Amino acid sequence: MRVVHYLNQFFGGVGGEEFASTGISSQEGAIGPGRLLQKLLGEESEVVTTVICGDNYAAENLDEITEYVVNAVKAAKADLFVAGPCFEAGRYGVAAGAVCAAVSAQLNIPVVTGMAEENPGVDLFRQEIYIIDSGANVGAMSEVLGSMAVILNKLNNDEEMGSPEEEGYIPQGIVRDAILEENAATRILNMIIAKTKGEDYKSELTQTAFEPVPAPPAVKDLTNATIAVVTDGGLVPKGNPDNMPPIAAEIWGSYDIASLDDLEEGDYEVQHRGYDNRHVLNDPDRLVPVDILRELEKAGKIGKVYKEFLSTSGLANPIANSRRLGQEMAKKLKDAGVDAVILTST
Amino acid sequence: MELEIINHDIESMVFGDTTGLSGKELTINHDELKTHLLEDRRIQDIDIQIAVPGESCRIGVVFDIVEPRAKQTGSGSDFPGLLGPFAVAGQGSTHVLRGSAVTVIDPSAFPGITSKMLEMQGEPAAASPYGDLCHLVLSPKLLDNSRRDAVQNALRMLSVKASVYLANVSQGVESDDIDIYNLDQSDTDSRAGIPRIAYIAQIHGHQMTVEVDEPILYGSNTEGMMPMILNPNEILDGALVASYWVMRVETYFYQNHPLIKELLRRHQSKEITFAGVIVTVAASKETDRNRNCMLAANMAKSTLKADGVVLTKYGGGAPHVDMGETARLCEAMGMPTVVQVSDSSGDRKAESAMLFNYPEVDAVIYGGGGDTGWDVGPPERVIAGTPEVAKVLKNLTYIEGGALCGVTNQQGASKIRATVY
Repeated sequence: MRVVHYLNQFFGGVGGEEFASTGISSQEGAIGPGRLLQKLLGEESEVVTTVICGDNYAAENLDEITEYVVNAVKAAKADLFVAGPCFEAGRYGVAAGAVCAAVSAQLNIPVVTGMAEENPGVDLFRQEIYIIDSGANVGAMSEVLGSMAVILNKLNNDEEMGSPEEEGYIPQGIVRDAILEENAATRILNMIIAKTKGEDYKSELTQTAFEPVPAPPAVKDLTNATIAVVTDGGLVPKGNPDNMPPIAAEIWGSYDIASLDDLEEGDYEVQHRGYDNRHVLNDPDRLVPVDILRELEKAGKIGKVYKEFLSTSGLANPIANSRRLGQEMAKKLKDAGVDAVILTST
Repeated sequence: MELEIINHDIESMVFGDTTGLSGKELTINHDELKTHLLEDRRIQDIDIQIAVPGESCRIGVVFDIVEPRAKQTGSGSDFPGLLGPFAVAGQGSTHVLRGSAVTVIDPSAFPGITSKMLEMQGEPAAASPYGDLCHLVLSPKLLDNSRRDAVQNALRMLSVKASVYLANVSQGVESDDIDIYNLDQSDTDSRAGIPRIAYIAQIHGHQMTVEVDEPILYGSNTEGMMPMILNPNEILDGALVASYWVMRVETYFYQNHPLIKELLRRHQSKEITFAGVIVTVAASKETDRNRNCMLAANMAKSTLKADGVVLTKYGGGAPHVDMGETARLCEAMGMPTVVQVSDSSGDRKAESAMLFNYPEVDAVIYGGGGDTGWDVGPPERVIAGTPEVAKVLKNLTYIEGGALCGVTNQQGASKIRATVY
């Protein structure tokens, strides 16, 4: 197997932080940790090219170095690609993740890298590539390279990948089922006994940490503002013209209310199976409050009600899909000059 | 409060001249049972069949599964407030036909995302707690143009009436074994230093409408219900049945509630002191949610004096949020918690798995099922509510775990765990 290895200036033997602006270059053969990697991969593998780049240069020219690496891997006719391990080095980790992801996506060959969980490269690339959990200690180099070699060989041989714990990689966040001997009741009791006694326990799910969404600044002058209503409660005109699905909708609709002072019972329906929607069917204004907004508009308290309301079904909707729907809706309203949005959920 | 469960093992179920128990064989007089069930004038006709383990048989859409049980004559009331007169459930003696079930088909339901089926052979049967039971399957035809709530009420009454009818055959018959359930907390001295654990159990989710005459807890439809304390025996002994709209729970499950039994077992072995059960409902309104979560958490702390709390949820997403909030409040009051969530990730990504994000609620049992399923062929026999449903069931080539009764239970019974790779 022909292997290409990416290193930063430090592990590539160029020098420390004072050489972090060194540009990107390649050399034949294995360098530094690459020599050990070659051994660990086995006799059939050879590191044919090592690409070295300074951390600052990589951080400032990520697109350029990504293209350079993809071309170098192509030119070397490589079967496998490795970057790092990078431990806690943040700029190195981001660059290693980016080049691994690009090589994997564009050339479709096995790639692997290693980082400490705190490395910013982890959150950026964990879903796309295998990242061995290297920890922070550079002294664990040979052990980390060993795990990287195992993963690489498994990928190369199309072997089934074990769990993150078994293989030592950072979870990619993919949910899979396992059938256990113990039912949930037994596991619940084991865990509560350990937790109340202050003993170790391991949650079966680590919650994903989300960036807080800062509240936007208040609208300065409502009397001149255009206000729109967006709902994830699945309100659509009778007949459901866009075929909005009642669960995990991948679409959103915008529906004309320009000439309406009030949403009438019977003109609308709800495409959402997750809540008791009787009140909404009785009076759709209770989800999309056109009646009250019109009153405020006529009284001059708000400038204008936007001519359409936007709607989707939020039920059981995956995060990635919800994010896209939100971005698309926000763009439409922003482009239309809407100043503020009332979001109603159910 | 002591409950004596008198177990009669059933290994075979057949139709015959006289309804009765002979050894481990339950014989049912088909016509007598039919006449008994047709006393309910809302039911026009009823198809009664038997399905046994290992048969090439598929059943659906299931309304509910009930374990045949009857109070020993003079010792209490069967399904009090629902079928029998009011009496506190969970005391006295109850006869159980262990290994059998009454399964009622909903003729007005169509297979869908929460469809409920039984498969009597192969891997799907082995994965379900109902695959190794002898089922008396009741498939009623209601009067034409019956309202949905009337249909459902008739199905509910049918399920418990048939359950009691069957189990009454074991009155006075020698049992296989007896279980005693008695949450005795009197030996306080020997329990010093053992953590007191309370269980906060959602028994319904008001994200779906309850009907006026929908019996759930002692016959109440739980509308307006606030958290309350029950003795665990009450849940095991007929105080609680599944609501009309359910996800992943059957009355049979409550009658054999694995989490309550596990809590009682660990109480017995003095690993914990089981402080009691708080039943609550998930709300559809913010005010109801805040009130219920607050009261349930405080009840665990102030009334049950719990050191730790385990929580399970009902239904779908909204109850998930309520359970998370209740757990957060428990943690804030100094009671460590464990919650069981079901995987909510439609896209199989861990970021979509949870509907709350509280760092302190950090002990999560993660129930799966999203990618468990089985390739199946056409069964020899289908028991369904309508010809249309029968056709759909017959032609299935794959059964998802979530579509089979009991496989993805979210209150302690399931062995499928979701794991993050």
